[in-house]
Amino acid sequence: MELPENPNKDNNGYESAEKIILRWDSTASEDAREKMIFETDRHEADLYLQAVDEIQRSLSNASISAAAAYDQSKVNSTIQIAMARLEDEFRNILMTHSSALETDSLFDPSSSSFSSSSHHELEEDDTVSNEDSSHNGLLHFQFQHCESSDSSTYRSTSSIREVDLMPAEAISDLQAIATRMISSGYLRECIQMYGSVRKSAMDSSFSKLGIEKLSIGDIQRLEWEALESKIRRWIRAAKVCVGILFASEKKLCELIFECIGTDIDDACFMETVKGPAIQLFSFAEAISISRRSPEKLFKILDLHDALMDLLPDIEAVFDSKSSDSIRVQAAEILSRLAEAARGILSEFESAILREPSRVPVPGGTIHPLTRYVMNYISLISDYKQTLIELIMSKPSTGSRYSGDQSIPDMEFAELEGKTPLALHLIWIIVVLQFNLEGKSKHYRDASLAHLFIMNNVHYIVQKVKGSPELREMIGDDYLRKLTGKFRQAATSYQRATWVSVLYCLRDEGLHVSGSFSSGVSKSALRERFKTFNAMFEEVHRTQATWLIPDTQLREELRISISEKLIPAYRSFLGRFRSHIESGKHPENYIKYSVEDLETAVLDFFEGYPVSHQQLRKRSQ
Amino acid sequence: MTGTDTQSSFLGRISIRRNQVNAMDGSHEQEIEDLDLFQKQVSDRFAEILSAPDDTPFDAFLSISWIRKLLDVFLGCEAECKAILLMGRDAAQISKPPLDRLIPELLDRVVKALDICNAIANGLELVRHCQKLAEIAVLALEQKPFGEGQSKRAKKALVSLISAMHLDDKEGSAHKTTDRNWSFGRRGGNKDRPLFGHYKSLSWQVARNWSASKQIHAMTMNVVPPRGPEASGLPSLIFIMNLIMVFVMWVLIAAIPCQERNGLTTHLPIPKNVNWTHTLTGLLEKIGDEWKKKEKKGMAGLLFEMQKMEKLGQSLIDFTDSFQYPGEKDKVEEAAKQVAELAEVCQRMEEGLGPLQMLIREVFHRLVRSRTEILDVLDQGAKSSAPLV
Repeated sequence: MELPENPNKDNNGYESAEKIILRWDSTASEDAREKMIFETDRHEADLYLQAVDEIQRSLSNASISAAAAYDQSKVNSTIQIAMARLEDEFRNILMTHSSALETDSLFDPSSSSFSSSSHHELEEDDTVSNEDSSHNGLLHFQFQHCESSDSSTYRSTSSIREVDLMPAEAISDLQAIATRMISSGYLRECIQMYGSVRKSAMDSSFSKLGIEKLSIGDIQRLEWEALESKIRRWIRAAKVCVGILFASEKKLCELIFECIGTDIDDACFMETVKGPAIQLFSFAEAISISRRSPEKLFKILDLHDALMDLLPDIEAVFDSKSSDSIRVQAAEILSRLAEAARGILSEFESAILREPSRVPVPGGTIHPLTRYVMNYISLISDYKQTLIELIMSKPSTGSRYSGDQSIPDMEFAELEGKTPLALHLIWIIVVLQFNLEGKSKHYRDASLAHLFIMNNVHYIVQKVKGSPELREMIGDDYLRKLTGKFRQAATSYQRATWVSVLYCLRDEGLHVSGSFSSGVSKSALRERFKTFNAMFEEVHRTQATWLIPDTQLREELRISISEKLIPAYRSFLGRFRSHIESGKHPENYIKYSVEDLETAVLDFFEGYPVSHQQLRKRSQ
Repeated sequence: MTGTDTQSSFLGRISIRRNQVNAMDGSHEQEIEDLDLFQKQVSDRFAEILSAPDDTPFDAFLSISWIRKLLDVFLGCEAECKAILLMGRDAAQISKPPLDRLIPELLDRVVKALDICNAIANGLELVRHCQKLAEIAVLALEQKPFGEGQSKRAKKALVSLISAMHLDDKEGSAHKTTDRNWSFGRRGGNKDRPLFGHYKSLSWQVARNWSASKQIHAMTMNVVPPRGPEASGLPSLIFIMNLIMVFVMWVLIAAIPCQERNGLTTHLPIPKNVNWTHTLTGLLEKIGDEWKKKEKKGMAGLLFEMQKMEKLGQSLIDFTDSFQYPGEKDKVEEAAKQVAELAEVCQRMEEGLGPLQMLIREVFHRLVRSRTEILDVLDQGAKSSAPLV
């Protein structure tokens, strides 16, 4: 066949190239089947690539005569054989270097074992190749150190740390092969193959990171405690996935493909990473959909915050048009998690309102509901930073004018300038008190009801004071209101119990009117003493079993009781004891000394039953 | 979107009527009327999509475009159903028996449907993968002059394509064509070459033990038409909703490859003696028959474009097998026609898969939203809730 240009030279070049290609035709020889060029010998690989280049050149040089058409067909055939070979070589190199990453080291932030110094390595190779003779030159000549403009932007973001996934030599081999494949029109094969192999590697890395494939149904069925540990694990794994795995894959694609053509590295990256990314996010999505209940709030906030932190990295790594859906999905999940948090808070508020337990807590002490709620909102104040941004609307409260007795109301006028979150916290306390009021009505003894309220509201105040963030949000105004409330309850208690007791010690009614004699009705006086004793014993017996857990409050109340009781008794005794002692069996009426009473008061609110004997210890 | 006009006017009519009836505190008659209207809507809408015009072959039954229409119909029905269920009702009304059992069961089925949506989205990636392989074949076959080189290339791509379509649904199964993509037969490989485990071109991203056929079966449990005094009113509405949801999910699974579809049932609990279910029953039979025919051979779903692709692929493999340059004229011409058809299928996939994936995602979102809304209403009204502590 005649060729236009220097036929012999071209022919020779072409023929020897063709020979090389045919020698490595795997369908033709056993030997070709068994060995891989790029593993055998640098020299062989070089020769092979040169041969491919030669064939490609002749394809573009061939003229369009009828004879040349036959030529072209032969040339095409040769190229196809070469491409098939290169495909296998490409795949082989990929697979050799596509094991799952050693994920243990990835979790340690202080580890300096991985380098983002891939550029340095390449530069070294470049200098070596320049000095070296041509047989190395071909490969490394093709391998250009490409500075891509946008790669620098994400290197500065938080958790992104690219890892060398492959040795530089492998990368340059891959690039050399890819260049030839793509220039022969075999781009698609290249992308397909690259994607499958790298995706398998990614799947293995995922397994090692403990990322499970769970369905939404699976997650709904799991106990929340089990889910909490999975969430923790996911948060750690997600940081590694986005910041290291995905970022490194992207870098690898850039290293291999970017110099060859724009968007090819993107296509390869998405082939590799799209499925795994969706799988990663599907867990977070399933959590965001799960049924709302109060105990889930904090882990959901953790997940929300983790995803929020990851968002810049996600946007940096998935910055092309073809990865829109991934960015969109991440944003959707974030927004659902926020909604879930809001919903849970709302649900929590309703749950407090509806909390139906009617069994009165013995001794009027702090109700478990109070503890739970106050602990919960203390924890909420720890998450203040996130929640302040998430909670955007005021709580739905009752209104003063609605007449609905089942919901308390809360005036917002006095709460001007407070964030919605703070309003919610105050609302929670309002609702808690409302519920507690209802519970207090189950006590048959009104005094106990007041004590109960006093204990619980005092506890609320202490918890608020104990947390600076909480206190700052609730505000001192409302705190004052609460303080007034428990003081009021203390006063109500005292009235309920002691007014009638102290009534026995009043002056009126004891003096007989009319005659000028001593004028005290002995019978009435005896009655008084008997009644006082009986009442006091009853109160003592009962209220010793009542409990005020807070030491200081207990003391204060006892002191307050004593301050009214002791002087009254002392003065009563002082004025009237002689009248009793002048009659029969005075011990039946004056049973207790002042000291006895002082001691007895110390028994109050300890939460232990006392025997009648104890009261009389002293006087014996 | 189809049906939005009718949908909005329908919703409008309901809300007007509901307001009128408010004074009568949820009259039963009103419910019956709403329900009848809803049933008719459902029947009409499904009938519309059943009758595909013949002159647009790519809107054919079970094509990407047809499935998009089906999903649109589903979204429309779902919106109406939710509206009837929730509008103007409080928690008490939707918590009394038998709704206290029916609604949680409905929500449970919704969760199952969500998993199916995810599996289908994953399956569409396999369809995309097939599209890309077909595009390689088309590229090769369209080369001029067409030589043996391109023929071999096309054949390689087509063989991969057919294998991908016959990918065993079971996760992790080693199948014969694992090394189909090697141009030379390498089995086992050299000991000193670390081979990379078993090589699949696509692995399912869904849960390991998840089975599409089991999922559908679970969804159909307890879907029974309400009887007796419950036969009209909300229980009936919920029954319709369950039915539609199960049906649509079933169609998706039959059409689009997803994990573990062996033994997919072809029976759905569609009552036969009710007039509005004719269209559903008809569709069920048609699709069920196709499924049974193809299931034995193993296939990647009844999607029209996939079926066509498979047929053309097989035929072109035969062509490339026997091709020797320059090839017999009529065979070459025949092949060229088929290549053009295949190119068109690829084009339809290229245009339609993206929107379909987005539509599946929208169905997902809508189901999530409805479930959340229903749960909210239920939670608010729960009178005797378990104590917090």
